[in-house]
Amino acid sequence: MIEIKNVSKSYVKGKKSIDNLNLEIKNGEIFGFLGPNGAGKTTTIRMITGILNIDEGDILIDGKSIKEEPLEAKKNFGFVPDSPDMFLKLKGIEYLTFMADVYDVPQNKRKEKIEGLTKKFEIYDELNNEIQSYSHGMRQKIVICGALLSEPKNWILDEPMTGLDPKSSYDLKEMMREHAKSGKTVFFSTHILEVAEKLCDRVGIINKGKLVFVGTFDEMKQKFKEEASLEKLFLEITEE
Amino acid sequence: MNKVIELTKIFLKTSFSNMDAKMGVSTKSKGKLLLYAFLVLYFGGLIILLSYNLLTGLIAIHQETVFIGMILFMIFGLAIFQSIFSSINILYFTKDTEYLLPLPLKPYQIILARTNVMLIAEYVLIFLVGLIPLAMYGILTGAGVFFYIKMVLAVILVPILPVLLINIIVMAIMSFARLTKNRNRFQLIASLLVLVIIVGLSISMSGMKEDISNEEMAQMVVQANGMIELIKGYFPTLDFLIETLVTNEIGIAIIGFLKTILITILAFVIYMFIAQKIYLKGLVGNLFGGGYKKSNKQINQKEYSNSKLYKSYVGKEFKNLLRNPVFLMQCLLPAILIPILMVGIIYAGINSEDNGMAELTKMLGQMQTNSFMIACVILGIIQFFTMFIYISITAISRDGENAVFMKYIPVPLYNQYIYKIIPNIIMNIVTIIITLGMAQYILHLPIITLITLLIVATIMGVLQSILMLIIDLKRPKLNWDSEYAVAKQNLNLIFPMILAMVNIMVLVGAVALLENINVYIGLIILGILFAIITIAMNKYLNKNQDKLAEKII
Repeated sequence: MIEIKNVSKSYVKGKKSIDNLNLEIKNGEIFGFLGPNGAGKTTTIRMITGILNIDEGDILIDGKSIKEEPLEAKKNFGFVPDSPDMFLKLKGIEYLTFMADVYDVPQNKRKEKIEGLTKKFEIYDELNNEIQSYSHGMRQKIVICGALLSEPKNWILDEPMTGLDPKSSYDLKEMMREHAKSGKTVFFSTHILEVAEKLCDRVGIINKGKLVFVGTFDEMKQKFKEEASLEKLFLEITEE
Repeated sequence: MNKVIELTKIFLKTSFSNMDAKMGVSTKSKGKLLLYAFLVLYFGGLIILLSYNLLTGLIAIHQETVFIGMILFMIFGLAIFQSIFSSINILYFTKDTEYLLPLPLKPYQIILARTNVMLIAEYVLIFLVGLIPLAMYGILTGAGVFFYIKMVLAVILVPILPVLLINIIVMAIMSFARLTKNRNRFQLIASLLVLVIIVGLSISMSGMKEDISNEEMAQMVVQANGMIELIKGYFPTLDFLIETLVTNEIGIAIIGFLKTILITILAFVIYMFIAQKIYLKGLVGNLFGGGYKKSNKQINQKEYSNSKLYKSYVGKEFKNLLRNPVFLMQCLLPAILIPILMVGIIYAGINSEDNGMAELTKMLGQMQTNSFMIACVILGIIQFFTMFIYISITAISRDGENAVFMKYIPVPLYNQYIYKIIPNIIMNIVTIIITLGMAQYILHLPIITLITLLIVATIMGVLQSILMLIIDLKRPKLNWDSEYAVAKQNLNLIFPMILAMVNIMVLVGAVALLENINVYIGLIILGILFAIITIAMNKYLNKNQDKLAEKII
């Protein structure tokens, strides 16, 4: 469970990039975080993951404050950043065992987890090669495997669908569903409204640092009293 | 030609963009500007002082013209030294190459622009260390305006030939890139091969002539002349330029310049001819040839096994350094190569002289080698060598935009900082051991002195590692598109040099204050002094671990 409580952030004095954000993502829920470019999605994700300091308010991850108990809070989530071009000089297997060491994945579980995840994403046969030799999609997959190794209760992804082929994109969505079905949380940002519409239990729309809508797709339609596509509703909300 | 100029501008902007931003005169950067001004004044002052001492000595024995040869020779050497490290990286390993190839550009335009970038990068340093001493010569010998015009022209012309030569060697080696089946390994081997060829050349050249210094100024002059004579044989432009600068006759000077320009143009034509034939092939081969080696090996059971986090993290840092040719060449190898190069030159120099070793041993036999002063000299030399280790100073920047990884994993930042500086400390110890081995070969010091020196130098190495990491945390260069931008075109790299200078000044001060102190007591005092500073810096790092990471976003 992720709780964002009265969070504000300013990069420039007097101008809030995130303005009093309140959000609660429940266990077993897939939550899509939408918004136009520069709306504050990445800033929010960076605050949730501890990359950016919070000016006001707090964020709790399974009850642990990212401000007060950062290490405990960080143990409760797995994060997939927007760029998968990381640790390119490591072999796939070296990256995954490194992540397993970072997240204290027990010895008896790690082989099973690594094999299970990489076979599912069809990158098992590439594990002995340097990540540099992987395609963009394969890099994305290895980072996702790294984030899921420790079976985190909360899974946070920043623009995860970028660069994935249809099969990998389908597999990822299935994994998100499985993750949520087992009572865990999925929080991801995306530009692809169709994905949000089909995959998310709830969506949040942020515009100019303010949360302008939170709820299900049906609730959105009810609120705006029209039978329109999510794309149209999204444009309407963010243009207000 | 316009395209070449535009391309050069773009390469320069991408290479030095970080510096541009930092050189802007915003209120925040005024302090930085002051710092740069101070640095330029400091080093400029140092060069003036050194030149003055050397020149007044030479003028006293009417040998001041030797100074011109020495400075031009030094510029020449500096151009070779800088090109060794930059050529392969600028020509082949910059990431913008992939975006460049599909553009409607002719090969000669890319080659010219890349060569321009190399030369401009060389001129920044060469102007500082070349023009100031020559201007001092002009002032002290009462030369007219004509000399200063000649001086600027000469400094511009000297580095061109060595840069072209090194580029050709690099291009020749890299033209085999497309034949390789393993791109990574080839890049690594090619980088090392370039180093070995050039280092080998310089050692063998230094071995041909005596170059060990003596107390006698007159003898030194003979030796310096000898070295210059030798190099002149290989690079005639140096000869013409020396002649041009020394002469007072306009006619001779103009002919000298014309000859130099003619040879340079000829060399340039040959260079462009060869480069157009082999550069792009090598470049494409390096980018796409052979591809990355794919392994079909089954994963060994051992590879799944867990290890302590510190081992895993330090291992990751080393893999990143060792498997990346640019980082390997710029950050790690100088720690080993520079002391070895020095040992090679000194060894070759000693052996080339008749009874050189015997004379040196005899001379040293008359000296008290196990003294505090000699110990401080050795520590000073170690400082000089270790200032080329760029592991800590680039520890954060090397990760680029992925440095944020440090902030979202559940590992305390302080622990990660320590894991990141361990490779720097290890390479420091390697350099210290090589230098002490060299000192032992010449000085035959007692083992206890060597151990004490090892401990004190290691403490200084730890201090360097911590301080440089703090600087990289405060001024990280995270948005780069070429590893070269981090490992070479990064203003932070001046800080290891500044620290080495400060440490050397402390050592000089210690010798002046404690001249006749027992060597062990002196070294223990130094050890305690540096240990206290190291502990204080470590505390600072620990206490401010979160604040220091604020720029990593």
